[in-house]
Amino acid sequence: LDCKKHPQLYVPGQLNLYFSKKTFFKCVLHSCYSSLVLFFIPYAAMHDTMRGDGKDSADYQSFALLTQTCLLFAVTIQLGLEMSYWTAVNTFFVLGSLGMYFAVTFTMYSNGMFLMVPPAFPFIGTAQNSLSQPNVWLTILLTSILCVLPVVTYRFLFIQLCPTINEKVQVRQAKATPPPPPRRTRIRRTSSRRSGYAFSHAQGYGDLVTSGRFLRRPAVSRSSGFTNIGRTTTGFSPMGRSAGYSPTGRPQNTKAPDVEVTSLQMYRTFRDPAL
Amino acid sequence: MGKVKGNSGPLAQRPDNSAFKQQRLPAWSPMLTANTVLPFFYFMALICMLLGVWLLLTVQSIQEVKLDYTEAGTCDVCFEKRKNVSNAGQSCSCTVEFSIEKAFKGDVFFYYGLRNFHQNLRRYMDSRDDGQMVGRKNKLKNPTTYCQPFDKDSAGRPIAPCGAVANSMFNDSFSLKYHGPTGASVPVPLYRKGITWYTDKNVKYRNPRTENLTLAQEFEGVAKPPYWKNPVYQLDVLDPTNNGFINDDLIVWMREAAFPNFRKLYGILYRADKPFTKGLPVGNYSIKISYNFPVQYFRGRKEVMLTTLTWFGGQNHFLPIAYLVTSSLSFLLAVVLTVVWWKFGKDGKNMEE
Repeated sequence: LDCKKHPQLYVPGQLNLYFSKKTFFKCVLHSCYSSLVLFFIPYAAMHDTMRGDGKDSADYQSFALLTQTCLLFAVTIQLGLEMSYWTAVNTFFVLGSLGMYFAVTFTMYSNGMFLMVPPAFPFIGTAQNSLSQPNVWLTILLTSILCVLPVVTYRFLFIQLCPTINEKVQVRQAKATPPPPPRRTRIRRTSSRRSGYAFSHAQGYGDLVTSGRFLRRPAVSRSSGFTNIGRTTTGFSPMGRSAGYSPTGRPQNTKAPDVEVTSLQMYRTFRDPAL
Repeated sequence: MGKVKGNSGPLAQRPDNSAFKQQRLPAWSPMLTANTVLPFFYFMALICMLLGVWLLLTVQSIQEVKLDYTEAGTCDVCFEKRKNVSNAGQSCSCTVEFSIEKAFKGDVFFYYGLRNFHQNLRRYMDSRDDGQMVGRKNKLKNPTTYCQPFDKDSAGRPIAPCGAVANSMFNDSFSLKYHGPTGASVPVPLYRKGITWYTDKNVKYRNPRTENLTLAQEFEGVAKPPYWKNPVYQLDVLDPTNNGFINDDLIVWMREAAFPNFRKLYGILYRADKPFTKGLPVGNYSIKISYNFPVQYFRGRKEVMLTTLTWFGGQNHFLPIAYLVTSSLSFLLAVVLTVVWWKFGKDGKNMEE
């Protein structure tokens, strides 16, 4: 999310929405719920069962491994939900850390490590004996679902009922820019759009984006920009094939005339096309 | 200053204009929109329901019979006898009877179980020496101090296997008899090998080995744990692969259970001969128990269990039921969220400023 373009995004910080006692309490509640799920589901699933070939599986080491693996999966999925941008690097490190957990576990529970220092590696054999049971993986799946479901529900509910400024901006951003956005800078529309110019535009902003001309324009305060908007400094010209409209610099009902008009306000202009 | 830098000037430190360094990598931005969340919930409900039903059907096909024999049948006599520590050297046997209404088809597994025995107590779990049990000679004669007070006997000789876990080994033994419809009683053969994990039997527990010495000689100058009747090299004199530290029963006991009520494998039905080729037939059975393990000190109970198994394990109804509950919960939430979305968020109504 581009904070320069959407200064409203600073409002939640000013209202202390994200680091307050209320948020902390919600976090504690979520942690308590997750902890109970992460212990009691493996406990109930394991306390009265055995492996498919009859050998014991309800032992301390298998239970510990199961609980820890459930935790890792739940945390990884939660992390995935928190991440706003899944780039290749992010994905590699998140999945890599899960893979690393398995690598380290199998190494620590291997024969070699045990034979080197037996009292330090008593969990030998637990990984392959426990994780080969479909019972165990079904428990992990159930735990992950139970941990993730409330989080997704809560977030979706709040997005529907009272979306925060972040979510609104995210939705706008997703709708406006062609997915996936190759650059995170936005299309800078000039004041000509304040007069509803964009509706009649025929050719599209392809040239504008690819040439990068819009990037070179320095931030200009609107109050001084009204009169000479005709020769916009980016060189962005309305392609000439619009309805012959030339911006007259009519004062728009901008909220803050000293601040450069933001994309959000530009959206507003879409609703009053009669200009 | 004759040094010439490669790139000098005001923009010398500028990072490359690559996608990676300018943080312009293509990214996917997950957003919780109705198009993704609602189908996800419905799909999750469907999957959980299918899994729940499948697991329930699997678990329903498992047959199980459980018997608490602490004071059952003639075992109350032994129960009284074991209250007195001075009787510990005397043997006591008793018989318990049960019947099976529906034949057990397939492999049948025999478990012994304990209730209220906390093998997961921290000090108890620490009280063992894995180095000794893997056959290290220096550890044999010099067990770790974690094993105290079960590391040296009163004469100062080291104990093998040391520690509280080995010392409290379960020592009841069972023999099963089938009383067929004709009235003749047939002993039910139980296969007592192969009840441990492969890694336990072959890597974690190894007998100390020196050339030209028998197992008994290896353990010279080493004492048995105080509560044991026989020393460790006499646990199964007939079978050298089951004697010493690699004894199956010892290994099964040493794998500490996670919870105070647990079961451990004792044997598997040997199905080579009639009438057990298909499993356990219908009829009356009796178990002759050599009752040694005293449970009244920790208010515990002892039990035996016979069960068939599937790929899923034993008869544990929790997972199928939990899946069905999760499925209905997920479906309920999906419906609620659909309603909410329909009323509030459809067509982006809620995203206006």
